[in-house]
Amino acid sequence: MRFVIAALLLIFALLGAAFAALNGGAVHYDFLLLEADLPKGVTLLVVLVLGWLLGGLSAWLGLAARRRRGAGRGDGQDAA
Amino acid sequence: MNPLLLLFLLLPIAFLSGWWSARRLGARRSGARVDELSSSYFRGLNYLLNEQPDKAIEVFLQLAEANRDTIETHLALGNLFRRRGEVERAIRVHQHLIARANLSDDVKTMALLELGEDYMRAGLLDRAETLFADLVAMNAQAPSALRHLIAICQHERDWHKAILYARRLQETSGEPQSLQIAHFYCELAENAQAHGAMQDVADYLQQAFVAHPEFVRALILRGRFAAANADYPVAIASYEQALASDIDYVPEILPALLDTYARAQQMQRAEQTLGRIVLRYEGVSPVLALARIYARRDGQGRALEFLGTQLRQRPSVRGLVQLMDTAIESGGDSGASLRLLRDLTAAVLEGQALYRCTQCGFGARAHHWQCPSCKNWSTLRPVHGATGA
Repeated sequence: MRFVIAALLLIFALLGAAFAALNGGAVHYDFLLLEADLPKGVTLLVVLVLGWLLGGLSAWLGLAARRRRGAGRGDGQDAA
Repeated sequence: MNPLLLLFLLLPIAFLSGWWSARRLGARRSGARVDELSSSYFRGLNYLLNEQPDKAIEVFLQLAEANRDTIETHLALGNLFRRRGEVERAIRVHQHLIARANLSDDVKTMALLELGEDYMRAGLLDRAETLFADLVAMNAQAPSALRHLIAICQHERDWHKAILYARRLQETSGEPQSLQIAHFYCELAENAQAHGAMQDVADYLQQAFVAHPEFVRALILRGRFAAANADYPVAIASYEQALASDIDYVPEILPALLDTYARAQQMQRAEQTLGRIVLRYEGVSPVLALARIYARRDGQGRALEFLGTQLRQRPSVRGLVQLMDTAIESGGDSGASLRLLRDLTAAVLEGQALYRCTQCGFGARAHHWQCPSCKNWSTLRPVHGATGA
């Protein structure tokens, strides 16, 4: 299983590197307060990482809320 | 499809993968998996306590499959299989456990001990002995291993080894083993006597007394060997010492002692000794013996009178039979009816246990030094009461 995961990671890294090499040109961004020229590949990678982090954060918040609710119910039962 | 659309799909995929990773991490940290395992474990335990080993085995098997690192589950499974008589499966489980590379020493010795018990149960005593001897040599789980080794030696009647292991067990655990050791020496003495090695008999009996002073079995054996060699003073002294040491063995000692008194022509002393025993022992055996002496010396009338008095104090079917015998021999009108009554009472006595184990309650008609059921030594005691000895 670990070997398969490592192989998949390697394939995706190679695909990412190839994508970055093929799209080496810069894109101009205007963020209202500042403007920047960023490489296309890096931009895509940053956006993907941001999406991954946001997904993780939402899941973590959901779990924490559920745990709090569970603890509250447990206290109530103890008190009863 | 527009390739740009595929690029936009990457964003929700990244979001979803992040969400999934966080969920997995959170679940692992919160111990949800551990909870699941422990709940299965307790479910299995519950089945065990409710005497439902089939269901318990099913749960433990699932648990062992789900998590191959659960050593306790494997041990519990192995024990269950052994208890159910599925020794081959128990052996496989324990061998599988021992074959693991990352086991701690404690767990490994525990598994070895369990495997040894499996071998014992399967009747592979030589393999079990080797395993237990290795454990003792490693000084791991030594007391348990030594107890099993002693059991194996008793089964194989290898008394020399049994003595060595019992001494070792006494040293390591501090549990007194003197009674067992003395019995082992008596077994050796009986073997030596069967082979005619009289010097060995004396030596073994001496060792038995060193292990357990005033040991009844050794005293009886010494009396028996002395009587066989016509050394009556020593025989009488040994038997009398045995009676003083443990009065419960009167039925075992009395016939031999009376025979020795007769051979030594010391019936006066026999009468005195029996008189003392009657006062100390609740059973009917000494009363019957004394009545026989009275019948021979003073006639049936005196014996009848004595039996009648004593049997009122300690009613016994055995005593009743002798009373009727004496009455028949003394003559009288109701001889035939007494004979009938005697036969009926004797029939009632048939099949009654004369000895009962104080540990497990096993009943026997003949005396055994080691209980055939629970294997404890010196626990078979005479049964008192109406049908007792």
